[in-house]
Amino acid sequence: MRKPFLYLAERALLVLISVVVLFPIAWMFLTAFKQPRDAYSLSLNFEPTLQNFVTVFSDPWNLGSMVLNSVVVATVTVVIAVPCAALAAYSFSRFRVKGRKFLFFLILSTQFIPAVVIVLPFFLMFRQLDLLDTRIALIIVNLAIVTPFVIWMIKGFIDAIPTDSEEAAMIDGASRLRVIKDIVMPMAAPGILTSSIFCFILTWNEFLFALILSRRDAVTLPVGLVSFRTERGDLWELMSAAGVMITVPIFIMALFIQKHFTRGMTAGAVK
Amino acid sequence: MAEVRLVDIEKKYGSFLAVPKQSLTIHDGEFLVLLGPSGCGKTTTMRMIAGLEDITSGDIMIREERINDKPPKDRDIAMVFQNYGLYPHMTVRQNIEYPLKLRGIAKAARTKRVQETADKVELGALLDRRPSELSGGQRQRVALARAIVRTPSIFLMDEPLSNLDAKLRVTMRAELKHLHHELGVTTVYVTHDQMEAMTLATRVAVMREGRIVQLDTPKKIYAEPADLFVAGFIGSPSMNLIDGKVSDGVFRADGVNVPVDLPNRDGVVLGIRPEELEITDDATAPIGGQLYALELTGESTLVTLRNGPVSACARGHADFEAEINSPCYLTPKPGARFHLFDRASGERLDGVKH
Ligand SMILES: Nc1ncnc2c1ncn2[C@@H]1O[C@H](COP(=O)(O)OP(=O)(O)O)[C@@H](O)[C@H]1O
Ligand SMILES: [Mg+2]
Repeated sequence: MRKPFLYLAERALLVLISVVVLFPIAWMFLTAFKQPRDAYSLSLNFEPTLQNFVTVFSDPWNLGSMVLNSVVVATVTVVIAVPCAALAAYSFSRFRVKGRKFLFFLILSTQFIPAVVIVLPFFLMFRQLDLLDTRIALIIVNLAIVTPFVIWMIKGFIDAIPTDSEEAAMIDGASRLRVIKDIVMPMAAPGILTSSIFCFILTWNEFLFALILSRRDAVTLPVGLVSFRTERGDLWELMSAAGVMITVPIFIMALFIQKHFTRGMTAGAVK
Repeated sequence: MAEVRLVDIEKKYGSFLAVPKQSLTIHDGEFLVLLGPSGCGKTTTMRMIAGLEDITSGDIMIREERINDKPPKDRDIAMVFQNYGLYPHMTVRQNIEYPLKLRGIAKAARTKRVQETADKVELGALLDRRPSELSGGQRQRVALARAIVRTPSIFLMDEPLSNLDAKLRVTMRAELKHLHHELGVTTVYVTHDQMEAMTLATRVAVMREGRIVQLDTPKKIYAEPADLFVAGFIGSPSMNLIDGKVSDGVFRADGVNVPVDLPNRDGVVLGIRPEELEITDDATAPIGGQLYALELTGESTLVTLRNGPVSACARGHADFEAEINSPCYLTPKPGARFHLFDRASGERLDGVKH
């Protein structure tokens, strides 16, 4: 039996941490349903309204087009990044090419460069290509940001798959590509799904590049939030409503990941 | 069916020489067993035949065609892996069907073939299970079924029975032997278990440190081991190997006096199999000492005697009984054979050439 004191202390600590983490989120959800005059009050006694959601989706805020931008940018990024990353991850995991480790390190090292440092060259490049304020520019930048991360993540999953089944498939008559399609991808599927969702979340929340590279047409949700800081002051109730719009899809995905992640872990390979 | 020839093949992992340059011909339809202790290069040799491992130098020929650069899928081989290499995300049916699917065989023909093969290895009732829902023996059968479903020219099996319990191993051994008899496909089989090798093989290649030290029929390998290593490796219990010297035409060690046809020399090892010795009361018998241990195996009793550093074991009658430490004498049965080896090089001294 464990000591009751330790047990209590542990619980208390967990509750404390939960409160610190959850308070801002709860505050955002509550504020989204408040009238402007209640925004700063801590009282739970207010008259809930859906007016904020109506407001953010109409002129001049037009959250709808930002939602669309975010959805398009994040989805296209995932659809391009994950298959490419999966193939790259497979190669890094299985082919014993000279310089493989260095190359892998090189790809990962792009992640260590602070984004602020490279945002200007990107801006200049896209201006030259006349791609400023387009979704294409955002997709390209996001691909550059997430692909190394996704390669690294999927490689971890593929490393964990024993090569026996692959070799068996090659002897059974499969080409390398066929092996990847029939054997490796199904076995790595839970990992690839998890990576896809991470990739989506990263892109969905990307702020800095979207802020610099978009102006009107390609503005995404996180950037859109900033526009609620006006000369009239911060419109917290509107910002919260928009915040809810950003958070809910991610929240649903997180639940989904959790389910799949545990399933992926327990499925296991056959000895 | 096909003949396989390994011509001057060599395998290095970086600077480590796993398989030194050597040649080997596997005859059409034979069951060739690569036998040797763990780490001696058996798997490496097999994987080179399969095309899963590059060959550092040399050629591999199947049906007189050089296949060094052909990918595994074009070599018309089937392989059973030590850990089975099943497809965990597929059902047993899909596992067995996969090689046929890759070869573009029509659905109806596939279904029929899978059913026939599954019945042959008694998996018929388990076709819709996943590998994770099977026992070790059942998984092993799936691996086997997947290999035989399309009648390749060559079977490669890498210790396929080593993950099974002792009883199942014996059953599966007989099944493998029967299957080979039925299909007649050239088979290369890797094992470290000399009993498996002896029972299954048409010919056995005994390997040591990457090198084939003897290649012959099980009978020949048992009767005339090429060197000390093979002598000690084959047989259970293993051959008695006694250190001594030859003087005046007699091999001498503590309590041991065996006439031999050799000039005087030191560093000689005398070998004789326990099953070729019998227990006697005759104090002039070639091997004498004190009874050290009696082990009843069921059909016989293993009698071990000691005399100083000399230890010798004989397979005696199951009813044999005697006091431990009492004097004990062993004499060769009629037709028994003494083997003589050089201690330093391990080479055979009594003129049997291989
Ligand atoms: N991929 C590899 N890289 C380096 N050394 C290896 C590799 N595979 C096998 N070896 C070495 O080659 C030798 C033979 O291995 P293997 O053929 O697997 O032996 P066996 O199957 O007879 O037990 C061993 O010493 C092993 O350590
Ligand atoms: Mg091996």
